[in-house]
Amino acid sequence: MEQTLNVLNALEREGILGCYAIAGAMGATFYTEPVLTFDLDVIVVLPQTTGGLLTLTPLYEALRTRGYMEEGECVDIEGVPVQFLPAYNALLEEALKEARDSLYQQTPTRVLRPEHLVAVAVQTGRDKDRSRVRLLRDQAAMDLSYLQKVLGRHGLLERWTQWTT
Amino acid sequence: MDDLTPEVSRLLAAKETRRRRLATLPFPEKVRIVLQLQAMAAPLWQARGHRVHVWPVETRRPRP
Repeated sequence: MEQTLNVLNALEREGILGCYAIAGAMGATFYTEPVLTFDLDVIVVLPQTTGGLLTLTPLYEALRTRGYMEEGECVDIEGVPVQFLPAYNALLEEALKEARDSLYQQTPTRVLRPEHLVAVAVQTGRDKDRSRVRLLRDQAAMDLSYLQKVLGRHGLLERWTQWTT
Repeated sequence: MDDLTPEVSRLLAAKETRRRRLATLPFPEKVRIVLQLQAMAAPLWQARGHRVHVWPVETRRPRP
């Protein structure tokens, strides 16, 4: 995974992606017990095209020229299927802006805060997101007041209450 | 939980303790465990028609 992160960092340095942070199951694993996953979910800010569109195409093309091919919804980067999710709404933009700088081995990277992982899971709303919320609540050290504010700002308090009472 | 035998309660408590201990491991160590989970689960997923594979093992040892 370290080589994969090195590639992401290089793409960021070259301006092919604005910035990125690890989310999904691997993001949760940063704060909880290890969770089985076969892909690495990455939230990205993409540079706008001249037409103002946010599209993954230039990123995919840049990866293709480096020999990293698409595999379904993922791109295989150094043996790790990476799923890129553009920050397409206010919650994801905020989550990315407030992501934590971290080191994986000796490679710098960023991981979403646990409060944002919870909020994104609540917003996405699938069964597996509900399980993730339960796991993060049980095991991650979270700032509950910060979490309440995030959930409130993004209209997620009602579902949070349904899921947790 | 009330109608569990003391033995089962003890086992469940130990399991919970282990999960909490795993949560405190350094991230690279957790990733190493995820790779082990992938190796165990991939054949089952593949048998169900999912295209999954185990990530390459890191060449660098996780720092303790």
